[in-house]
Amino acid sequence: MARQIRKVVVLGANGAMGAGSGEVFAAAGIETTFLARSKDKALQGQRRAEKLAKSTALSRFIRVGSYDADLARAVAEADLVFEAVSEDLALKRVYFEQIDKHRQKDAIVATVSSGLSIAAMAATGGTSFGRHFLGIHFFNPPNVIVGCELIPHAGTDPLVVTEVDDLLRNRLGRELVRTSDTPAFCGNRVGFKVLNECAQLAETHGAAYIDALVGPHTGRAMAPLATIDFVGWDVHAAIVDNVYANTRDEAHDAFHMPDAMRAKMAAGCLGDKTPDKGGFFKKGDPRGGELPEVARKMKELHRVGRYAQAFDVFAEASGADAELMRRVILGYISYGLNRVGEVVEKVADVDRIMGFGFNWAPPGVLVDLIGARRCVALLEAARLPVPRAVVAAAERNQRLFDAAHVDIGRFFHGAQ
Amino acid sequence: MNMTTRPVYILGGYQTDFARNWTKEGKHISAMIREAVAGGLLATGVDPKEIDVGHVGNFAAELYAMQGHLGAFLVDVDPAFSGLPTGRHEAACASGSIALLAASAEIEAGRYDCALVVGVEQMKTVSPAEGGDFLGTAAWYEREAKGVEFPFPKLFGRLGDEYDRRFGLKDEHLGRISAINYDNARKNPKAQTRTWYMSDEHACKADSYNAVIGGRIKVTDCSQVTDGAVAVLLASEAFAKKWAERRGAQLGRVPRIKGWGHRTAPLTFDDKVAESKNQPYVLPHTRRAITDAYRRASLADCWGLDGIETHDCFTTSEYMAIDHFGLTAPGESWKAVEEGVIALDGKLPINPSGGLIGCGHPVGATGVRQMLDAYLQTTGQAGAYQVEGAKTFATLNIGGSGTTSCVFIVGV
Repeated sequence: MARQIRKVVVLGANGAMGAGSGEVFAAAGIETTFLARSKDKALQGQRRAEKLAKSTALSRFIRVGSYDADLARAVAEADLVFEAVSEDLALKRVYFEQIDKHRQKDAIVATVSSGLSIAAMAATGGTSFGRHFLGIHFFNPPNVIVGCELIPHAGTDPLVVTEVDDLLRNRLGRELVRTSDTPAFCGNRVGFKVLNECAQLAETHGAAYIDALVGPHTGRAMAPLATIDFVGWDVHAAIVDNVYANTRDEAHDAFHMPDAMRAKMAAGCLGDKTPDKGGFFKKGDPRGGELPEVARKMKELHRVGRYAQAFDVFAEASGADAELMRRVILGYISYGLNRVGEVVEKVADVDRIMGFGFNWAPPGVLVDLIGARRCVALLEAARLPVPRAVVAAAERNQRLFDAAHVDIGRFFHGAQ
Repeated sequence: MNMTTRPVYILGGYQTDFARNWTKEGKHISAMIREAVAGGLLATGVDPKEIDVGHVGNFAAELYAMQGHLGAFLVDVDPAFSGLPTGRHEAACASGSIALLAASAEIEAGRYDCALVVGVEQMKTVSPAEGGDFLGTAAWYEREAKGVEFPFPKLFGRLGDEYDRRFGLKDEHLGRISAINYDNARKNPKAQTRTWYMSDEHACKADSYNAVIGGRIKVTDCSQVTDGAVAVLLASEAFAKKWAERRGAQLGRVPRIKGWGHRTAPLTFDDKVAESKNQPYVLPHTRRAITDAYRRASLADCWGLDGIETHDCFTTSEYMAIDHFGLTAPGESWKAVEEGVIALDGKLPINPSGGLIGCGHPVGATGVRQMLDAYLQTTGQAGAYQVEGAKTFATLNIGGSGTTSCVFIVGV
């Protein structure tokens, strides 16, 4: 019998992820208590949620309170306690202890952590806490980005997983992917590998050139280095450092944050959130630089909806620009699809989280556009591991991307 | 008008995701046409060589995208389309249905066996105010729209006022109509507002998040500015028979156009109201288009339908459609709203797709989108917004302030 989730408590409800997640629960008509250090801060979270929903009527489902005055009572009444405090394990543990003290014995506890070990967090409380603990990774802003990762750890009660799966899919309208409890889960692991690789390449080639070469025409709304500036260098560092320290895979070196970048970060350079110092770019900087010929041709073809022909150019163009572009994009395909079996179960899982969480062209879409057979040849030529799924698609002459309701064209941006 | 015309079958089609902003994607309107057509061919398994003729419905690409002559863009989609007879049709927001009427008339006449119909509008190229002015050309521009900010919400606000004057109208019923459309849209993976927050309370509340646009019309009463393209394939009986055979299906399971209605009222809203004075229906020509379609489809009334995709450019236009389709007596649309008749699980669901308010309203594409949804519903392919067991669906597509009314009855 699935637990009906009627009351949710959000900790850290004044932050972007806390308020955004709170909006998603409240918008589904679930009574949601926003908790923060003070009631005023919780109220700020409520206003933030109203702004996302573009409605004050949302607040019919929102209560606010502070940890000191309201946590014990609110947690005791909650069916689901959702932790969205800072990405700091020690700090999270302080709250988990309080939650475990006050929660009902069958209440579910979830963290929105974007990559810390779920098992390590689950170990904060007793056996019952661990059995009712899992990760729910929303992407920012969650009211718009519907991709979501559900991360049980080895000790999570399967019934709890089923209950939360049902909540996320059917009541919150999430495009849900279950991942293993591995560093950065699936979306961030695959996405930040590409982002950090671009940061490494920027050292030699320059940031403007890299963003122009692997920009929106390669299947993303925002170019890679602009993306790192947007999410913040501190967030980027936390994710890639965690993966670098805790995994050993074929692209291990790609997670090593460039030394120069780390030095700039130590000097207070965090991207868009430090506008005076900037990141790869400063606000108002001309972005993108001059377009390499291969990128210009692809953009022109995307503009008129000729996506497959754009990827003919991608596959067949010669020269250093084209080779570098292929290295990054084929690297993404190879690394992403090789996580099948390790982090996720199916190709569709990687495709969904990259498409609906990162808003990047899913690897499967790119393989289909390039053509599976040609993709195998290109991966081999680039000396990249060829994922089994691509070999199978080539052998059977099948497409990889299976979501017929998705317009694949939306991932590729043309010339303005 | 007569029963001897040849039947017109619907083979399926494709709708682009109405949440997209093609301008932000750096796309030309030809990309929209290309995606819709490619999707339609893939969905139906029809080879481009099999298509005899192409019709494009579009309202104002000359204004929004500085591009006319849209029929010719079909030729760009596939080398096999070189030489294809094509044309573009315009009747404001009913442009898509006019393209469908033209294509179906050609099949009825035996001129062609397989027609490709595309509806397309790229609207996010300009600011909302500029777009609102362009839409004013669907009214009598000099008399009703020139110098008026957002003329259409005001005109459809007046439709609500006219109901209020004749029969009484409560805004809470309009709020319910909006909330139902948003609820349904949440089930439609192609709907523009599928992730947007909505509730009756929000829809009934005028505040900074739900501003009054004109008269009684608030943001939540309006369809939004939408980019979108839809392709539908129509075919003669001979073509549909062969097509069904090669797909291992029965011809009897392929939906066809069972009836249609098409009427035009005076262009200005004042003239419409003056003409309908002392008549039971506020928009008698819309009512006639509906009853013409019922008669041609041999339907006694709306209760022979399993669902309706109607033109809710504003909540007031859906309110009007409810009594004009005959779900209630004139002026009593509120009863069907209150009793849940029009809800997805109601006796006669209206806009399971989310309609124009929820799914979106790329003006020239709407009529074709409604036809595609009628096809999906009557073939059981509408997914989460499927009306269970639907066999017969109606569409109502309106251009201007109730000026051009087009109705199709689609069924198996």
